[in-house]
Amino acid sequence: MSRKLTYTKAINEAMIQEMERDDSVFVLGEDVAKMGGDFGLTQNIYHRWPDRIFDTALSESAIVGLANGAAIAGLRPIAEIMFADFAGVAFDQIVNSTAKLNFMFQGEANCPVVIRAPQGAGIRCAYHHSAVVESWFLNTPGLVIASPATPYEAKGLLISAIRSDDPVLFLEHKMLLNVKGDVPEEPYALPLGKGVVEREGTDVTIIALQITVGMALKAAAELEKDGISAEVLNLRTIKPYDEQLIAESVAKTSRLVIAQEGPKVGGWAAEISAMIGEKYFEYLSAPIGRVTCLDIPVSFAPVLEDYYMLSPADIVRAVKAAVAF
Amino acid sequence: MALEKERLKGLYRDMYLIRNFEDVIKEYAANGTIPGFVHLSTGQEACQAGVVRALRTTDYKYPDHRGHGAILLCGTDPKYVMAEIFGKATGVNGGRGGSMHVHDWACHNHGFNGIQGSTVVTALGTAFAAKYRHTDDVSAVFMGDGTLGEGTCHESMNMAATWKLPVIYCLINNGYAISTPCSVAHPQKELRQWADGYGVPSWRVDGNDVEAVVETMEQAVGIARSGGGPSLIEFVTYRWQGHFAGDPASYRPEEELEYWKKRDPVLLARNVLKQREGVPEEELKAIEGDVNAQIQDMLRFSLESPVPDVSEASTHVYEGFPVEVER
Repeated sequence: MSRKLTYTKAINEAMIQEMERDDSVFVLGEDVAKMGGDFGLTQNIYHRWPDRIFDTALSESAIVGLANGAAIAGLRPIAEIMFADFAGVAFDQIVNSTAKLNFMFQGEANCPVVIRAPQGAGIRCAYHHSAVVESWFLNTPGLVIASPATPYEAKGLLISAIRSDDPVLFLEHKMLLNVKGDVPEEPYALPLGKGVVEREGTDVTIIALQITVGMALKAAAELEKDGISAEVLNLRTIKPYDEQLIAESVAKTSRLVIAQEGPKVGGWAAEISAMIGEKYFEYLSAPIGRVTCLDIPVSFAPVLEDYYMLSPADIVRAVKAAVAF
Repeated sequence: MALEKERLKGLYRDMYLIRNFEDVIKEYAANGTIPGFVHLSTGQEACQAGVVRALRTTDYKYPDHRGHGAILLCGTDPKYVMAEIFGKATGVNGGRGGSMHVHDWACHNHGFNGIQGSTVVTALGTAFAAKYRHTDDVSAVFMGDGTLGEGTCHESMNMAATWKLPVIYCLINNGYAISTPCSVAHPQKELRQWADGYGVPSWRVDGNDVEAVVETMEQAVGIARSGGGPSLIEFVTYRWQGHFAGDPASYRPEEELEYWKKRDPVLLARNVLKQREGVPEEELKAIEGDVNAQIQDMLRFSLESPVPDVSEASTHVYEGFPVEVER
């Protein structure tokens, strides 16, 4: 049975249902236990399982390091990093241990760690609480990176992440936390590494992830008024990403615009662009368009933050340029 | 404290193995057979052997980058350890890890890290898992005086002390972080004092006296196993070689090395066996002959083993996803 749940509640429900199913699942992080998380994502766990959710010191390296060690010893840790920006403090642990332990132990031990972290701009908190971090970690083999766009995806991808024997960086968008959507009550797993077609179209493919999925759909509705039929892909997982889905769509539309939150240089949109340019160049009838944030840090004042951020209007403009080429 | 004779004989054998194993590694690193660089534990045999021999197979062991000695004793057949250092397919990690990453899940050897301070927090996790699962396995993590400069050491001990996790911090103080003397980088007169701020029990012991190493380790293990939480042991010792094999170590005075060579941990144990325990010279020679033959077998095995097949470079990157290997 499906009900309307917020993105926050969907994430919370995924954790609770997996903790019911598997006693090797536990949660640790800053303020996650008694308080239920800075964003309320871990509410209603402590009173049920006081021995399976732990408030830690402000020690991101130790949080992730502990999760790594516990995982190779057979547990399934969910480590919350309060803001994805703070993952920088644990960078070594994530890229040198979390991502590589499966490779190191060659299947004799696994590192089924989930690192959950709210990310993204929009909350007026400036440059240390607003980053999106997919691209920080994209160049690290061994990591799975999931960025759900809806409550439905949040629950299904988190359940997959917890059950996965690969480590998953599970990024939650702060501007989506209160968004409501249909979420089945029973546990379900959505495949990692697979995207979906959100809207079918024939003139241009717009690739989106998490917050930009909504923007791309808005842009597509706007474009329709001008007679442009845009296909919107939601990648859900950026590492590994669904190359087949992208290639099939571009083969059909021959034009590609990528909508990515975060600075342009070295962002995941660059990877997708390069991959299409390298392997599927013959499909294209126009240059690939990247719509991203500016290559600047996020500022505090709303007018400055909004200036940094991309918008549906930017996507519309890029699509029109591709169509007019 | 004196250890029982048979046990001390075993430890002497271990230390003699480490010393001569490292000499072979040094030779084959110098002649270019072993790729990359190696960090030798020559001179630190007593801490390596004493720590591991105070633990059991199921305890989680975290040898560090200068850890060949400890790794040899964790439970893996030593020929697979040597083959790994040679980068061969028969190595315990199939040649993926090499000198700094010789680890073996089967005996809970987690010596997989080449980054200072990294496994100091990983050890929290295995200690946590033991507690979560109500087993009494402990986690022993090797670190050097240099490691203590890493912030992870603070995070780890703070959390281990607060949660009473069974972690034993085995701090091998060999006086130098590459070229930087300990006194240049750390304010404590004795590094063990670092534990005081966390209310964690600590000892500073002669790291070249294998009996002292074992005795102190056993105290720490006893505390950790019985739920008493973490502790720290500072083993004062010296590395005879430079930071890596081939490093001339011109940053340290020659007389310092001479002083420490007079305190050779392998020879000290031999003398105790001979003089205090009355073990005849022939018996010691027999042990040494045995070990030398074993090392020659390992060397032959390592030299004759094939290099890894390149297909091995891309397995287990992910468990659930393929990896593209076309260029």
